[in-house]
Amino acid sequence: MPAYWFGDVDDGSCTPFSGDAREIAGRIRVIRTSMDAFVPLKWEQAVSCGICRDRAEYIAKLREACFVAAERDIREQYAGKDTELLHMVRTLDEMDTVINLLSERAMEWYQIRQPTFSRKYRRTPSHLMVRKIREKSRGALGSVAGQIEALSAARVDLAREVSSRANRVLPNSSALIGGLVAARLMAQAGGLAPLSRLPASAIQVLGAKTALFAHIRTHTPSPKHGIIFQHRRVHNAPRNIRGRVSRVLAGKLAIAARLDQYRGVAVPEFIEQAQAKIDAAGKDGSTEIRDGGEL
Amino acid sequence: MIWVGDVLVSQGEGGVYNERMLGGARVWDPFRSKLAALYYLGKGIELTPEMCVLYLGAANGTTVSHVADYAEIVYAIEFAPRPMQDLLEVAHRRPNIVPIMADATRPEQYAPLVEAADLLYQDVAQPDQATIAIRNSAFLKHGGNLILMLKTRSVDVRKEPAAVFRDTLEALAAAGFTVAESVWLEPYHHDHAAIICRKP
Repeated sequence: MPAYWFGDVDDGSCTPFSGDAREIAGRIRVIRTSMDAFVPLKWEQAVSCGICRDRAEYIAKLREACFVAAERDIREQYAGKDTELLHMVRTLDEMDTVINLLSERAMEWYQIRQPTFSRKYRRTPSHLMVRKIREKSRGALGSVAGQIEALSAARVDLAREVSSRANRVLPNSSALIGGLVAARLMAQAGGLAPLSRLPASAIQVLGAKTALFAHIRTHTPSPKHGIIFQHRRVHNAPRNIRGRVSRVLAGKLAIAARLDQYRGVAVPEFIEQAQAKIDAAGKDGSTEIRDGGEL
Repeated sequence: MIWVGDVLVSQGEGGVYNERMLGGARVWDPFRSKLAALYYLGKGIELTPEMCVLYLGAANGTTVSHVADYAEIVYAIEFAPRPMQDLLEVAHRRPNIVPIMADATRPEQYAPLVEAADLLYQDVAQPDQATIAIRNSAFLKHGGNLILMLKTRSVDVRKEPAAVFRDTLEALAAAGFTVAESVWLEPYHHDHAAIICRKP
């Protein structure tokens, strides 16, 4: 018995669905249609069903319900806790790019104004250079340097917010690699749900797209790590065991992402065991890194 | 199709995406819209005022708005929330667009809403584009047409675009479609092909 948005049609007879646009939107969601031997609806059926008098009214009613349904679905999608975090991470990465570009440019400009100035043999961090430029330069250069500083301050605030939100949204992943890196992984995957569906091998090289495709195309060595390299346990590990550490870490992250997605709370016993496994993998010469398989 | 000189236009309320107007009609840019590119290449299905169109991958409603200028009704399917916001805005102003937020790979989601269509237009960034077209052909009238905009890079970036094109043609023919025309959208869009089929 085919069920359409306006009612159930059975051998020419029709049981109309009486309800407003909101109720029709609810009905659309629960109707189960089989696509085998499917017959598309005819709008005249809705007329004989008593839902509408003519085509114009049919379309108007259908549209109203579709708008309600779409607005509801959009709202639900945005309500996911990870949606805003995604944008926060992307904003953070873009701010980094902008701050670096502007700082480099300001430095070049400053050197023109100070022909005797060189950065060679100085270990002045970039942000201190920017401050110096602001203090010593008049006009546009000084105010650009001031803007870079303001932007850097906003970036620090944002990074703190990303981190604390990631601790809430991705409690297990954040416990393993820190909120910021966990949030970056999530953003790269396109959300928590897509991240939780990735295999560990994909998580391991997430963010190493160029190297991965170079590997697939031209058989260069495969990348050992992507974003997870940013975590200290990977980049502090001796070069010869980095691959092992990132593989074990990615394996545990794949589990952590699924816990984040489907439980949504920190699971202390998992985190404890996972940390131990990852630490063991980081011990040089250790051979016993077999996975027990629990959790 | 309506041409002013050699410029493709559609008749309707302007200002949807700051499109240029020409003699009171909306200029339909082949570099922005793959369907417009198809008409510029001298191919495609003539859109008529009594046509019912099922549009898969409606995105921000740019091309949809032009199609709606020609056709009687357009059922516009889009899955992602962000472009859907824009599509709703476009549909608010055009009473012959029915905006549906659903996944084109799962036609059963919108089967209770859509009438039988004269034209099935598909422009989705998915790997299994032939399968999507075949599953959605349930909505196509006999003698109706399918225009499939094949994004070869979405199918498999490692495969040659020409190979993806050939595989898709084979899959459509095997599913009972009669392939009428197929054309690469150069120079307007790279690695994109248009396939026009008839459902017997």
